[in-house]
Formats: sequence, C-alpha cells, structure tokens
Amino acid sequence: METIAVIFGGRSAEHDVSIITALASIIRPLELTKKYRVEPIYITKDGAWYSDPKLKDINTFSSGQIDGLLNHLKPISLSFENGLKIVKSTSIAGRKAYLKIDLVFPAMHGTYGEDGSLMGLLDMANVPYVGCGLSASAIAMNKLLAKEVAAQNSLAVSDYLSFSKKEIESNLSSIIETITKKLKFPLFIKPVHLGSSIGISRATNKSELLNGLEVAAHYDDTVLVEKEIPNLIEVTLPIIGNDQPRPSLLERPLTKPEDFFDFDTKYLRGGKKSKGAKGSQGYSEIPAKLDQDLAKKCIDLGLSIYKAFNLSGIARVDMLIDAKLKKVYFNEVNPLPGGLYAHNFNLLGMSNVELVEELIKLARERFKARNSLLTSFNTNYLKQF
Amino acid sequence: MLNKIFNSFKTFYSPKFPVLITYMLQSSEYHVLDYLIWFWKTDDFSKVQKRKELQKTQVAKLILLTLRIGIIFQIIFGLSLIYLNIVNKLVGGWGFGLGVIILYPVLWSQIITIPVFLARVLYINPKQKLMIKNSKNIFHKSQALKIAVCGSYGKTSMKELLLKVFASEKKVAATVGNMNVATSHASFAKSLNGDEEVLILEFGEGRPGDVYSFSNTFGPDIAVITGISPAHLDKYKTMDNVSKDILSVTKFVKPKNVYVNNESNYLRSFLKNQKFNKYSKDGIGDFKAVNIKNDLSGLRFDLTNKSETIKIRTKLLGRHQIGPLSSAAILALSQGISIKAIEKALNGIEPYEHRMSQYELNGAVIIDDSYNGNIEGIEAGCKLLKELKANRKIYISPGLVDQGKETKNVHLKMGQLIAEAKPDQVVLMENSVLKYIKQGLDQSNFKGDIQIEKDPLFYYNNLKHFVAKGDIVMMQNDWTDNYS
Repeated sequence: METIAVIFGGRSAEHDVSIITALASIIRPLELTKKYRVEPIYITKDGAWYSDPKLKDINTFSSGQIDGLLNHLKPISLSFENGLKIVKSTSIAGRKAYLKIDLVFPAMHGTYGEDGSLMGLLDMANVPYVGCGLSASAIAMNKLLAKEVAAQNSLAVSDYLSFSKKEIESNLSSIIETITKKLKFPLFIKPVHLGSSIGISRATNKSELLNGLEVAAHYDDTVLVEKEIPNLIEVTLPIIGNDQPRPSLLERPLTKPEDFFDFDTKYLRGGKKSKGAKGSQGYSEIPAKLDQDLAKKCIDLGLSIYKAFNLSGIARVDMLIDAKLKKVYFNEVNPLPGGLYAHNFNLLGMSNVELVEELIKLARERFKARNSLLTSFNTNYLKQF
Repeated sequence: MLNKIFNSFKTFYSPKFPVLITYMLQSSEYHVLDYLIWFWKTDDFSKVQKRKELQKTQVAKLILLTLRIGIIFQIIFGLSLIYLNIVNKLVGGWGFGLGVIILYPVLWSQIITIPVFLARVLYINPKQKLMIKNSKNIFHKSQALKIAVCGSYGKTSMKELLLKVFASEKKVAATVGNMNVATSHASFAKSLNGDEEVLILEFGEGRPGDVYSFSNTFGPDIAVITGISPAHLDKYKTMDNVSKDILSVTKFVKPKNVYVNNESNYLRSFLKNQKFNKYSKDGIGDFKAVNIKNDLSGLRFDLTNKSETIKIRTKLLGRHQIGPLSSAAILALSQGISIKAIEKALNGIEPYEHRMSQYELNGAVIIDDSYNGNIEGIEAGCKLLKELKANRKIYISPGLVDQGKETKNVHLKMGQLIAEAKPDQVVLMENSVLKYIKQGLDQSNFKGDIQIEKDPLFYYNNLKHFVAKGDIVMMQNDWTDNYS
C-alpha cells in the first residue's frame, strides 16, 4: 500500500483553515479509497513538524488536546535519501524509524505552503505531489506578480498600484497623494502574499485608505492598491487538470460589494445567509446565474489564466465582472482552494473520493513528465580551471 | 479473533458493562430468550452498542441499579476471600476470591435474567392480559367503523393513507407510528373518547396467533392486507404459518370488506377463488390506474372507471404505491367520502421518513428506504432505481433479517433483483447474508462494481464523500445492533 503524506498547518495566517482542508477534504476521502496509507504531517505555527495518527482527528484540534499531544510527541525530520522519508524518533535506544513517502498531498494555505516554498522542498526531494508547482504557486500567491503576468498575457485586470512596506512607513502622505491622483475611490488595499482575504480592506476616503495601507503593511512587505470594479459581480472558477484543464462550475459568492469576502465571512460566520448552496466559503450561487456569453467569457478567462500561469492539479481563479459593461477582469488565483472547493466539484458530479483520486493521478502525470526532462548535460566548462 | 477477545475483555471489565447488559435487555424488549441468544452469539462486545443509547426508563434504571449493586457486592466478596486468605490463611481464599471477581460479568449477565423473567411472568403478563380484556370491551362497544391493517410490510404507510382520506370528512382515531402490538392497542383503546366515527388499527405480527388474537380483540369491519413476505421467521418458522396468521383476520370480516395486495407474490397464492377487493399497480376493481407518471418529483396517476375519475398527485416514490393509494381511495369512496376530499387528502402526500423518503447529499439524491425489511420492498426499491435516470446509480443494503430458513433463497433473490436494477455500484455489508446476495448477483451476471464494507455505520456516516450531483443512491434496510 502506498503512503501519502498530507502536510497541513504551517507558519501562515491561514493555519487553521489548512487544518480543516486537510482533515475534512483530503485525509478522510483518501482513507475511504482504502488504497493508501495516509500519514498526517502537521506543521505548528512556529514551524515544527509532527506526525501521529491522532492528528487525523478533528477533535484533537477542536477540543484543544493538540497542545497536550504535541508536548508528548517528538518532532519529525525529513530525509531526502532515495526520495522522501519522514524520520521519527522511537523510544527504543534512540533508534529512528523511517517511513518512505510515495506522494505528498499539500494542504497548506498561504505563506510557506501555498506560495511555492513547500513545492521547492518537494521538488528537491524528487517526490510527486498534488497541485501546482513551485513557480506557478509563487506567481499565483503574489497578487502583484499575478496581475503583471495576466497583463503581459493581455488578460484584463483592474487598475492598480503597488508599494513596499518601507515606502509606506517612510512616505505615507505622498503615497496617498499618488494613489488619489491615479486611482478613484473606492479602492481595495491588499497585502500581496496572503490569501483567505486576510489584511484586505476597502477604502472609500483618504482616512480609510491610510488605515488600510497600515493594516496591509502590517502583514506583508508589499501592498497592492487597486480600483474597485463598479457594478460588481464576483465570480470564481475552480479548475482541475494539467495540460488540459477542465473548468468546474462558475460560482458566485452571494455577498454585496461592501461585504466583500473577509476571513470572518468566509470561514467563521459561514457566509452571508442568502439563498444558494452552502460551500466551504458560505453561501454561493452555483452555477452563477449569468447570461451565456458572459459566463463563457469568465470560463475562457479562467482557463487562459490557468495556462498563462502554468498551473497544474487544481486551482481557483477569481474574477470580477463589471455587470454594466459586461467586462470580466482577472482578480487573483488560489493555487490550493480551501477544502479543495469540493462542494463545487460535487455539483459537477465528482465526489470527494473521486476528486482526491483525480488529483493524485494528475500529480503522478506531472511528476512523470517532469522527470522525463533532461536536467543535466556534459560540458568542458570545468576543464578550463 | 484475538483482537475481538481483547476488546470484549476490556468491555466486560469496564464501568460501562452494566449499561451494556441493560441496553441488550432493553433492545430485546426484555425477552430473556432473545437476549440470551444475542449474548452468546456475540464475539465482540465492544461493538454491540453502536447505534443507539440506553433509554433510561424506570425499568432500565432498576436493572442498572441491581447490576451495579450486585457487581459491587461480588467484587467485595471476592476481595474479602483474598483478604481472609492473607490474614487468616483461609484455604483456597486466593483462588476462589480471584475467581469470584473474574467471573462477575458472566455471572451477572445471566443472573439478571431471573428477575426480568419473573417480572414478566408474575407482573407484566397478568397486567397486560387485563389491559387487553378491557380494550376488547371498549372496541366491541364502539359504534365506529373499525378498520384493521395487517401484513408483513407497508402497514404503517397504509394506515397513514387511510387516516388521511377518512380524516378529511370524518372523526378518525388511529394507532400512532408503528405501535402495533396488543399493549399499544390497549393503550389506544383507553385513549378513545367514544365519539369516533372510524377507528384504524395496525396489527403487527410477531409470533403465531398474533393477528388472530388482535382481530378477536378489535372485531374489525374492514381488513386491509398489505402483503406477505418472509418476516419474523425465527418465530413463525414457515411462510405457511405467517400467511395463515395474517389471513386469519379474514375470518372476522365479510369478503367484500377485505382489501388485499394482489402484487404480493406470497399473498397471491392464497387469493384464488376469494371474492376480496384486490389492488395492484393496475388499480382496484373496475377502477383502473391510467396516465401514470413516476419520477423523483413523485407519483401521479388517475384512477378511473366508466363514470368517475380520481386524480392522485403525490410525492411518494415508486409504482408500487399505486396499489395502496388506489385501495385507500376506493375504500374511502365506498364509505361515503367524496372524490374531492379524497383527492385533497392524497394530493401532495409525502413519503414517511426512512420509507422511500428522499434527501440531497452533496448534490446526489439519496432514497432512504432504511425501514424496509422485506423482499417485496426490496423489489419495489430495485424497480424504482431501474426506472430513474441518473449519471450513476448506487445501491446500498446490508440484506434482510429474520428470514429464518428462507434466508438463503431470499438473499439469492435479492441479488437477482439488484442485478436487474443495473446499478453502477452495489455496496454490501460484511455479514452472514453477504455470500448469498453476492451469489445472486453473480448468477444474474452483474457486471457493476461491488464494494464490501465492514462497518455499516462508518460507511453511512461517510456517504457524503462517495457521492456527487447526478448520483441516485438507493439505501434499503438497516440492521439494528442486535442483528449486526
């Protein structure tokens, strides 16, 4: 039986969301396939790695038993010898236990997990893993870079400006002048790296803008300021696949522009109470009720983004629609959607078990393709020294 | 096996042991023999109490207290023997003392049956006899039209249908839910005001002579027999005995007032040359079922003869409902209920919970028929699954219980019925009837996927992970703890 490691938690503001994604949407369906041994790897908020069967149980986390358990456990380490192995301490004469990992299923959101850091580590270990690769993840998780890549590919984005944390701290008033001159209120202020809407604020005047810049700079070293799209309809499109991406159903979160998705709305309050399907991010309209042409524009843009960013496995592309002009703008990409956006794939006809199995298949395909590439060639370069 | 012994050992010596024994007695309805059979066939006591909790009734509390006090005294006695051995050199004190302590679970699981048995013989049975005698007086004095509903299956649904149609124009009283034994009939009789125009009683057969005895007590004017199938064969032993008991109700009612399900395979063989009202998916008497539409939104049809038409529009699922609906409608019509009232009562009628009721799970449609426990219900479910359109069809069942000598044949037939429904996947449970269902599937050349689950409850709780939109899942029957 193959061993699949599910890595979750991590040094990220989305640590807790990651636990839910791992336990509810990945580990349980993987175990139900009865094909794999599932090894949970939990990374604490301060970066220590642990593995224990009890970490598969949500009660361990929800009841607060996690602290007691971690006090009792010893952190694991990794070995890259012939692939990836996790190394556990045993109670027998200081001996180590090695467990070979055949495939990794990352369930990390945000920094040090979804942003390519973990993917780099797994590439070095030469182990197949689910989801997007290093560069695609890094681009996707940097909102500024993502906008620039989209714009370079002639894909529509809203007007934006960016500033470093240092600039904001040293020259706030001049930055506010620049912003108000070039962009019209209302504006959105975002840290460029964080997901799950953490640190994002909406400003309708200078004082809110100032506050928003300070908040965003508190979370990140680069801050993005972008113009709000008028007559806004927000939509999101989960996509699965490697070279031939397949869109799931276009989804419309049922929130008003002034109640744009913040962390609480998404994960704590269960979304706005309106009619629609209750997904992992609250109430949504699935599929979004848009006219056929507009829906097609959204799906085309989503797929173009997926290809332009070289995304693989699974990702979710968020888009903004100016309902009056019927124009669709790229907003951002989420290379590991919370809960795998299983609720949406379920409505497409794919069960949770089928979803994780498909993602494993895609991970293997990409790994095989990547390993067939040449990574070295012989030169006379060293002979000249 | 070792694991099971270890788990049982842990359960036996855990503080919850008295609760487990009380739960087993309660689930066996305090029938000592049933309890003892369950106890001695169980090889892993840690898995006995999975689905339900102990209902803390006064009887249960008394048993629990007796067990706890008894066990404490036995442990103290054992410890005293050991103490006397150490202090006073009592010969054999260690061995006896340890033996007394170790044996407490086995001893008390058996000793407790003595007071339960005595209570039944000396108190409960005489009290019940008196209650039944009183109820007979009440029923026989009543001027109401008395309708008895009996059969191996479909009784509660038929009773509810009759209640609906008669209640539209008359003052009706009916037994609640599936309260269908003598004591519940007696309680029902006691609750009557005396001004009821119609009384509807459900007869639940459990052992030979039950239906005859209920009929004698109730004195029905009309009888509805919903079908016969292998059930309670542990008590009845043969299908012939089941049929004889259920049909004994006809001795109390004129043939023109007997309504029988002509689609029931077992029942049909007894209906030749009988002038009963026979109902089926074709209708009843000269009323024919036409314009039939059957899908997930419900069953709709017209019941028509030369002069009258009753339009029936329900949310019930499956063509097998045409017969009972027709029967209820025509029975009510014969007793003076207007067509308008019948239509109003039946239209929009919804399935009862766990009886072909449907709900959505991750976009999939789940048809919950988990209260179904007979082969004819399995047939109805399989036919419905075959008729419905879906991306993927999944059939789930642990099989049927209480089939006695018919167990093998019934489950071979079940396998065949499932194969005919052509589901994409069949999910079966690892139990004593699995081999027969699989054999039935193989004999019918079933080509779909067969999944075997060890833990039904775990599977049901995780069903949401296996299904998605476009799937239809037919879930039939569920085994309670005493059958698992």
